[in-house]
Amino acid sequence: MEEVTCYIPRTLDEALEILSKDDCTILAGGSDLMVSHKRTIGVDPRFSKSVMIIRNLPEIRKIYTEGGECHIGAASTSSEIAENPLVPWHLRQAASRMGAVALRNSATIAGNIANASPKGDTPGPLYLLDARVKIRSAKESREEPVSDFIVKFREIDLKPGEMITEVVVPLSEDDFDYVFWHKVGTRKANAISKVTVSMALKFEDGGSVVRDFRVSATATGSKTNRSRDVENIIIGKEISEDLIEEVAEAFDGIISPRAMPEFRRETCRRCIRRFLSEAERRRAAGDRRKMIDTYDGYHMPGAPEVR
Amino acid sequence: MTTDDISKSVRRIDAVSKSNGSIKYMCDYELPDYLWARLVRSSIPRGTIREIHLPDLPEGYRFVSARDIPAGGQNQLSMIANDWRCFADGDVRYVGETIGILCGPDKTVLEDLYEKIKIDYEEAECAVTIDEGLACKGGAFVNGDNIHCRLKLEKGENVDDVFARADKVVEETVETGYQEHVYLETNAAACKKIGSKYQFLASCQCPFYIRKSVAPILGIKPEDIVVQQTTTGGAFGGKEHFPDVLCGPLLLAAYVTGRGVKIVFDREEDIEFSVKRHPSKVVFKTALDRNGDILAMDSKVYYNVGAYLASSFVVLQRGCFHVAGCYEFPSFRTEGFGVATNTFPSCAFRGFGAPQTLFAVETHMCHIAEMYGRDPLELKSKYFIKQGGVTSTNGRVVERVMIPEMLEQVLVASDYCRKAREYKPGSGRGIGISFYNHGGAFTGNGESAIIKARFRLKKYKDGHVELFCGQTEMGQGFHTILPKIAAHVLEIPREMVIFDDPNTDRVPDSGPTAASRSTMIVGYLCEKAAKLAKERYKTEDEFEIETQYEHPEGYPWDQSSFQGYAYIGYGWGVCAVEVEVDPCTGEVTTLGVWSSHDCGRLIDELIVHGQTNGGIMQGLGWASTEVLDNVKGHFKQTSISDYIIPTSMDYPKQECFYVDNPYQWGPSGAKGMGELVFNGSAAAYIDALSRAIGKRISSIPCPTERVMDLMLHGEGLDSALNAAH
Repeated sequence: MEEVTCYIPRTLDEALEILSKDDCTILAGGSDLMVSHKRTIGVDPRFSKSVMIIRNLPEIRKIYTEGGECHIGAASTSSEIAENPLVPWHLRQAASRMGAVALRNSATIAGNIANASPKGDTPGPLYLLDARVKIRSAKESREEPVSDFIVKFREIDLKPGEMITEVVVPLSEDDFDYVFWHKVGTRKANAISKVTVSMALKFEDGGSVVRDFRVSATATGSKTNRSRDVENIIIGKEISEDLIEEVAEAFDGIISPRAMPEFRRETCRRCIRRFLSEAERRRAAGDRRKMIDTYDGYHMPGAPEVR
Repeated sequence: MTTDDISKSVRRIDAVSKSNGSIKYMCDYELPDYLWARLVRSSIPRGTIREIHLPDLPEGYRFVSARDIPAGGQNQLSMIANDWRCFADGDVRYVGETIGILCGPDKTVLEDLYEKIKIDYEEAECAVTIDEGLACKGGAFVNGDNIHCRLKLEKGENVDDVFARADKVVEETVETGYQEHVYLETNAAACKKIGSKYQFLASCQCPFYIRKSVAPILGIKPEDIVVQQTTTGGAFGGKEHFPDVLCGPLLLAAYVTGRGVKIVFDREEDIEFSVKRHPSKVVFKTALDRNGDILAMDSKVYYNVGAYLASSFVVLQRGCFHVAGCYEFPSFRTEGFGVATNTFPSCAFRGFGAPQTLFAVETHMCHIAEMYGRDPLELKSKYFIKQGGVTSTNGRVVERVMIPEMLEQVLVASDYCRKAREYKPGSGRGIGISFYNHGGAFTGNGESAIIKARFRLKKYKDGHVELFCGQTEMGQGFHTILPKIAAHVLEIPREMVIFDDPNTDRVPDSGPTAASRSTMIVGYLCEKAAKLAKERYKTEDEFEIETQYEHPEGYPWDQSSFQGYAYIGYGWGVCAVEVEVDPCTGEVTTLGVWSSHDCGRLIDELIVHGQTNGGIMQGLGWASTEVLDNVKGHFKQTSISDYIIPTSMDYPKQECFYVDNPYQWGPSGAKGMGELVFNGSAAAYIDALSRAIGKRISSIPCPTERVMDLMLHGEGLDSALNAAH
C-alpha cells in the first residue's frame, strides 16, 4: 500500500515553506476532496501525493474590511461567511444555501473556488462583485480576479508552491439600488445548484439611467458566466422592454449549458427580464426595497390575490 | 384497563436508543474473526463472460463463484420465482449481476485486489426500457417474447361491446419511473457456520425468506440455517427479498472458506446495485358518453421487471387489482405484462405495484374531466365504490367505505372547493386531490394457502410475557405496536412484555414483514393469543400459547383465475395538495398537504401519524425530484447528492386526519396502513401542478426542468385526449 505524507502546519509561513519543498494537495474543509478521494466504507481515502491540512491556520481564517474591501480568509467556512455582516449580500446568500449545515461548517471559500466546479455556489457572486484571490508562495505574493483564476472546468491558475490565502471583495454592494440572487437547487435544502443567477443594478442618482448593471450565472457552462459587454448594453441607458430583451438574448449568447440547455437558458432569460423590469417598476414607483426575487409570491396571469 | 384507549400514543420502545446512537446496527458489529467480502459484479447489461482475470490473491484471500457451488447445490435464489441466479455463470443479464464474491481479512487489501479484477466480456445488445423489452431488442431472452408474466381481468359487460356504442373512446398512456428506497442503513449481512448450522446476521425485513432462499445453494434444508435479524435502519421493501442477493454469496463463501464472512454496502453501491420500484406504463382506453361520463375502462399495465422475475408477478397482480382505484366502473378490463429487460431486477417497494396503477388511474380521470371542463373531483365522485361494491376481481368490498366522510375532512381543511374554483389553470397556483386504497395483507387466500402464519406467546414465572414471531422492526414501530396489543389485552404494563428481533430458531414463522400485514394479521394473532392467555396469566406460573392464521369464512379466492375476494380489508385514503410555481424557474413550492386515511382503528396515533407523514413525502419525492435514469443498463444517479429525496423543507406543512372504522379481523380493529399512506400523494401533487401550469402531465417524476419544459411546450388541460383507433 502506497503511503503519503500528511502535513498539519501551525503557521502560514510554515505552510508556505512546506509547499516550496513538497507539491501537496491542499486540504482545507475537505468537503470536496474527502468525497472525491473516498474508497469504500471502512477503507481510508487514497491520495496520490502529499496532503497539507490548512484548516486551522489562524492567518487565513479572518474576515475583515479594509480600504473599502472585504477580506475573507481562505479557510473561512461557508457558515462563517453566511453569518458575517461585513460580507456582501450576494456572497452571504450563496454561502447560506450551500449544501447542508454540516457541510457549511467545514467547506471553505478557497476550496469552493479551487474546486472549480461550474456548479460551485460562491463563484457566481464573486464574479459579479469583481472579487480577487490573493495567492502566496514562500517567495512571492500576487492577486488575480477570481474570474481569471478559475480557468475552466476543474482547472485553476495555481502554480506548485502557491496557495490561496485570501479572497478580496470590493464593497460596491451598498452602491446597488437593487440586487437579485436566486439558486434553483435540486430541492429546497441541502441542494446542488441546477442554475443560479446573481444580479445587481444601480441607477444614476435620482435618475432613470442605469449607471451599473451586472449579471452572472452558474451551472450554465464550463465555468461561471459573466460578460461586461452584455452588461454595457443597458448601462448608460434607460431600461426599456427592447433593451431588456437585448440583454437577455446577449446573455444567452455567452452561456453554454450542456445538460438541460433549454431549462437553464430559459431560466436565465426569465430572471433577467424579471429583475430589470421589476427594478424599473420599483424605481418609477419610488419603491426602494432592494431585494428582488423571481416573483412576489404570486403574480401569473389570471392569478387571484395572494392572502 | 382494557378500556384504555389503544390509540393513545406511548413513547416508542426504541426512541432513546435510536436517538442517542447507542443501538447497534450491522456495521457496528465487530466480528473480529470474520472475513470482509466484496461482491464482484457485471459491468455490462448483457453478454457472455469470456474470462475473469484475478490478481494474485495473497494467502487468506479467496474469490468464490458459481463453480464453487457443491454437488447437490443449485445456483439460484429461491424467492417467489426461482429464476434469479445467485451468480452469473457464462452470461450476464444486467449491470450489477453478481459474478463472484471476493473475501479476505483486511478491508484495504481487499479493496486493492477488487480494483485489479478485470473481466472480459462479449457484449450483446441490451433492452433497457419497457418498449425495448417488448420489442425484444437484442433478441428475446425470456420466454421467447420477453414477457416474464401476464394476467387478465374482466368485469361487467364486455368492454369491446361498450366501445362500439360509446360516444367517444379515448386513449392515454401514463408512466412512472424508477424509485430507490434510500433506507438510512445500507444493506449488510454476515454468515458463519457455528456448530452444525450456518448463522446469519442480517439487516432485513424477512429472516425466514433468507433461510428459504439460500438453502438450496448448498443443497441444505432451511432448518440448517439460522437467521438473526439485526436492528434494521429502514427498508421500505428494499430489504424484503434483496438481502437474499447478499446472503447467497455469503453462504457459499462461508462454506468454501470455513470462516465467518461479512459484507456492508456503501451508499453508492447500494443505490447502483440494488432493487428498485418497477417503472410502469399504463395504456388506458376509455369509453365515454356525451357528457364525458365513463362507460368502460380498458387498460394494459406494463411493469419493467428487469432480468429476473423473482417476486414481480405478485407485484404486477397487485398493480392490476388496483388499476380501478377507488372506483366501480360499469365495465372494466385490464391486462398486465411483466416485461423482461437487461436491468437490475425490480422488486418490492412500499405499495408493491399499487402506487403505479393508482397514479395512472387518478391522472387519467383528471384528464378526462378536464377535457370536458369538469372539476376532476366531480367526475371521480360519481364512481366511488361502496360496501358490497364489485371489485375488479369480481369480489365485493366487505367493509364500510368511508370516502365521503374522509373527503369532507379534507375539503374542509384544505378549502379545496374555493381554491379549485379560484385558481385558474396556468395561474401559477393549483390544488389537486386524489383517492386511493390498499388491499391489506397477502392477496386472496395467500395468508391461508401460502403463509399460514403462526404466533407464540409465553408467560414466565416473574410475570413477564414474551412474544414470538418473525415480524421485524425496521423503523415503522412494530416493536412498540405488538407489545402494546398484548399488554392492552392482558392489562399489564407494556414493560412486562418482551419482544426481540427475531431469530429463526426461536420464533415460529409468522410470514414476512411486508404487505401491510404485520399489525393486521400478526397483531391479530397476538391479540388472540393474549385473550387466550388472560385467565391463565393470573393462575399459572409459566405457559405457552400458539395461535395460527384462519381465513374468515365466506370470502373465496381462486388464485388460478384471480377471481374472488382479493382483499377483505382495504385501507382507504384521500389526499389534497396545493402548490405554487415560480414563473421564472419552474420551481414548485408545496403550500399544503391534507390527507385523511381509514386504517381501521389506530393502534398508536403518533406512529400512524409518522407513517403518514413519511409515506406522503416519499410519494411526493417519487412524483417530483426523484429522477433515476437508466442509460444502457447503468443507473445514472448513484449518490444522495444526485438522487434527490425530499427534505423537511420541501414539504413542511401536512395535516393528517383519520376516520375510525374498526376492522372485524384486526387487533382492536386495526388494518394495514404502512403502504396505503404512500399510494396517493403523487397523483394529488401532479393534479395540483398540472392545474397550476395549465398543462397536462402524464408521467412522473416531474422535476423543475420538466416543469419548465411543460410550461413552454406542454399540452393544455382542455385539449382533447387522443381518440382510440
